[in-house]
Amino acid sequence: MDTMLFTGRSLWTMIHGMALGGGALMGLAAALFSVRAMSAANASDTAAQRESRYLAWLTVGVAVLLWLTVLVGTYITFPPYRATPPEGLLDLSRYPRSLIQSNPGTAWLHGFGMELKEHAPWIAAMLATAVAFVSVRYRSKLLGDARLRSMTTALLAICFLLVSLAALLGVFINKVAPLE
Amino acid sequence: MAASEDSKGEVANGAAMAAFLGAGIGAFAMGLMVILNEAGLFAAPALYAPAGGVSGRTTFAALIWVIGWVVLHRRWRGRQIESRRVHAATMLLIGLGVLLIFPPVWKLL
Repeated sequence: MDTMLFTGRSLWTMIHGMALGGGALMGLAAALFSVRAMSAANASDTAAQRESRYLAWLTVGVAVLLWLTVLVGTYITFPPYRATPPEGLLDLSRYPRSLIQSNPGTAWLHGFGMELKEHAPWIAAMLATAVAFVSVRYRSKLLGDARLRSMTTALLAICFLLVSLAALLGVFINKVAPLE
Repeated sequence: MAASEDSKGEVANGAAMAAFLGAGIGAFAMGLMVILNEAGLFAAPALYAPAGGVSGRTTFAALIWVIGWVVLHRRWRGRQIESRRVHAATMLLIGLGVLLIFPPVWKLL
């Protein structure tokens, strides 16, 4: 008898959480480190231009990954999560939201965790897009301007915290009620 | 796409400030959509029924973000903007937006 290792739903969950969200989180960490570690007293310096080009591509990649994460999360993995089970069904394993809410000990994962996950990553995607735009438009000037760098760092840090929190809650939810 | 320079050869920061403040507006719009929905004052229609109301709330907030950014960009590009105040306003808007999407906050209603 053939046994499917992964269903389509679980594959999409992995794409959403590990490939896209995980990739964005790694990219955010790298961008945050880079924007602090790199500094350019002379913006026309060749090395500074090369570094800022890498940073620009990195931030664009992060923004793209975050938008793909929120779109896949909202429109592909969230609908089966919130599907309503038929009346009287006892086995709720294919209905994660109902399964989580059926146990008082895990109900917070929906009431707090999923409610937060529905919106926080969208804010992160907007912030990452602003950072990517500034990195591309200003290139090496970004590394030489203290105020621009500090605002970029602040937005990247907020982004990193929001995505980390959403990812952690996603792990908890998937542990209790995986989308299979 | 390159940053424009003024007569002194300095790069005008207007486009960057517009992007940052626009992101703050988007974050606040997201929080506002959530709190209005939870207070029963305005529920964004579900644009994709299987996803429910979140599809409407997030789309509306994203539209407000894009419109806010475009308007600011058109007004500020090529200009030097006082960055300290923009930074403060951006952080305030993001802070409020994040606060308003926090379930313990809107459960106080």
